[in-house]
Amino acid sequence: MITMLSQVAERVYWMARYLERAEKTARLIHVHTSLLMDLPDRMEIDWYTLVRLFNAEHDFREHYNEASERNIMQFLVADRNNSSSLATSLAMVRENIRTSLNVLPEEVWEQANRIHLLMNESLPNTSDRHLRQQFMRQVMEHCQCIRGALDSHMSRDNTFDFMQIGKHIERADMSTRILEMTSLLLADDRSDILRRYEGILWGNLLQALSARQMYMQHVHARLNGVKAMNFLLKDTIFPGSVGYSLAAIIRRMCYLPQPEFPIAKVQKIRDRLASADITSIPADQVHLLMDSLQSEMGDLQEKIAKTWFYPTFSQTQTQAQS
Amino acid sequence: MRQEWNRYHSQTYYDELIAAPGQPRPTSERLVDFLSSQTPQHFKQCVSEAEATIRQMGITFTVYSDAGNIDRAWPFDIIPRIIPGAEWDRTEMGLKQRIRALNMFIQDLYNGGQIVKDGVIPSDVVYQSKGYRKACEGMTPPHGVWANICGSDLVRHSDGVMYVLEDNLRVPSGVAYMLENRTITKRVLPEIFKLMPIRPVSAYPSQLYEMLASLRPDLDHPTIALLTPGIYNSAYFEHAFLARQAGLVLLEGSDLTVGKDNYVYMKTIKGLERVDVIYRRIDDDFIDPEVFRKDSILGIPGIMRSWRDGKVAIANAPGCGVADDKVIYAYVPDMIKYYLGEEASLPNVPTWVCRRPEDREYVLDHLPELVVKPANESGGYGMLVGPHSTPEKVEEFRKLIQENPNNYIAQPTLSLSVTPTATDEGIQGRHVDLRPFILSGKDIYVTPGGLTRVALVKGSLVVNSSQGGGSKDTWIVNEFMPNFDDPTQEIEA
Repeated sequence: MITMLSQVAERVYWMARYLERAEKTARLIHVHTSLLMDLPDRMEIDWYTLVRLFNAEHDFREHYNEASERNIMQFLVADRNNSSSLATSLAMVRENIRTSLNVLPEEVWEQANRIHLLMNESLPNTSDRHLRQQFMRQVMEHCQCIRGALDSHMSRDNTFDFMQIGKHIERADMSTRILEMTSLLLADDRSDILRRYEGILWGNLLQALSARQMYMQHVHARLNGVKAMNFLLKDTIFPGSVGYSLAAIIRRMCYLPQPEFPIAKVQKIRDRLASADITSIPADQVHLLMDSLQSEMGDLQEKIAKTWFYPTFSQTQTQAQS
Repeated sequence: MRQEWNRYHSQTYYDELIAAPGQPRPTSERLVDFLSSQTPQHFKQCVSEAEATIRQMGITFTVYSDAGNIDRAWPFDIIPRIIPGAEWDRTEMGLKQRIRALNMFIQDLYNGGQIVKDGVIPSDVVYQSKGYRKACEGMTPPHGVWANICGSDLVRHSDGVMYVLEDNLRVPSGVAYMLENRTITKRVLPEIFKLMPIRPVSAYPSQLYEMLASLRPDLDHPTIALLTPGIYNSAYFEHAFLARQAGLVLLEGSDLTVGKDNYVYMKTIKGLERVDVIYRRIDDDFIDPEVFRKDSILGIPGIMRSWRDGKVAIANAPGCGVADDKVIYAYVPDMIKYYLGEEASLPNVPTWVCRRPEDREYVLDHLPELVVKPANESGGYGMLVGPHSTPEKVEEFRKLIQENPNNYIAQPTLSLSVTPTATDEGIQGRHVDLRPFILSGKDIYVTPGGLTRVALVKGSLVVNSSQGGGSKDTWIVNEFMPNFDDPTQEIEA
């Protein structure tokens, strides 16, 4: 067996992160577009909400004057200068696959090229809502094809472990961002219109995280905001919940060499989550909780890099040839 | 498309597939027949399917320009080039003979240079060659083999004879494209494969692995790595492809370090682990900043020590480029006679060596007809192609040769063979060459065929992909063809 190069570990880790980010971004834009078709104008929720979810207000204001659907979609879908745009994520997926081709199944590379070709065809059409929605669905499909090939063809080795860790960190990170939106939905001073559309909005939130069906099956057929949030943060068997992701990260880290520091960090985040009482959390506290989870995950990222991607090598670590 | 194929003619050039208008060579009869029976629409479909496949498979090469680096799709022509089996068997023997002599020559040079002492090759030709590395003197790599991977360029002249144009012994590239070309043809023209037996090329990656493993006969499972200059190198696609197919660790210089014990280690998630064999795809100059170019950031400081100590095998061995020199090329037939006592079975292109006064006189008198090459350049740099040049350029080379005759050779301008190619103006003849790949370790292996490069521009002789060249699948086909529809006939293996 060949031990994994640090550089390869880093590349497949980021490949998995960007793959997750691309899929989630496409899903979010798709769901949000369809949500706005149901909502009246002039509400707390509009196109600009998406820019807020990506914490990209500053970047957007710098390059665009008007918060129109056209501009916001250009920014979030096609703009390569925007580090969180769909186009950037997809390009990073492909580049990381290209540079770790020798450890990944061949089909994955072909799929990445298909998305790349599709992207070049579709990007000029971001302002056409019909074509854009179609493109989002295709991106989701291709991402799932890649994931399928990885899942069914790869041995459960360290390459796979790093990809799983990357995927779950990104998933937890994206979830906490999207959940920030709930502070709007729970705010005491929310508008009457918003109160009227609450059912749709919570449903939409669950859908953006592909959680609606499982929520209805495992929690309740009736949507309840607080219960939905609890499900998305703490459920133990739903693979899209933050709690599930954190557990999965620890499980994978156990297979890696010297995992003590990163595992301790993940454990700390789990404790933080466990101690938060979601059922009685005031709206202004949601924001703080999500913020702190996100910054903890930033720290985790640093620990991972230091432990496995850029460790200090010394001769004493030398392993004998077996 | 029968009419179009019947109209096809290749003027005065030797044609690889067609003997005379409307008359395919015996080994290409079934292919031409199959292609003729297609409708133009279906053929066009096949061409676009091939293009789509190449884009999906991500088969690219990088072109460097002022506007940045562009990844271009690999230009591929779907009409295969066929070489008759019996001719190929002879060519393969010739290639093996040649690489054996070249390796004996390099081994001799770095260990006393008997061939120079015996006056077969002048000493300054050898020891002043840019490819000669003092740091390699006294070394004997495993099996005495220096050039483990060789990609010779063969061309066919209008006399129908296949000549060796050059021996690429440093870091020859293109084999991944040879393999991918076959994959594309199988996808796009699967029917043809049941009409005729075509020798498979897919053994190359495992042959490559076995050859590399044979460089450490003392280890059962050596760790073998492919060293790439990096992810922005124009051949990175090939490096990643070969590493995946042959099961090698793909790494860059920065992933490696030489320990105090002189072993080479790679940086893994578990710490440092030993590497036993390195298939390097970077030039001698860059391999070890302690010994060669000090400014190299691609290489590994100390790796030459490790190699000299026998603690790591490097393929190709450092210093083997000395035999990849245009002047030394001229002496290869003499080498074969000297080391093997045999006549060269693959001919060299007739070559005038400008250091010989009588050769020089001839060259200077006939410059506008000749091709002039400097000793130690590759990729067609610093060359004069007389018939396609200007009088000023010819005079410039006259001066260069007079000032430094030792650095130049000259050859007649060959008229390269052509082969039917799909162009915008229909099926037309385009010039081709051939690069077979030869692996030498414990044993010698030659790819059946190789990479056929084609000059896609009408009349052009330039086959380089960066300058309008493309490539074709290359088939070795036996003259005796079983009838696949007749079960009573046995199929020859």
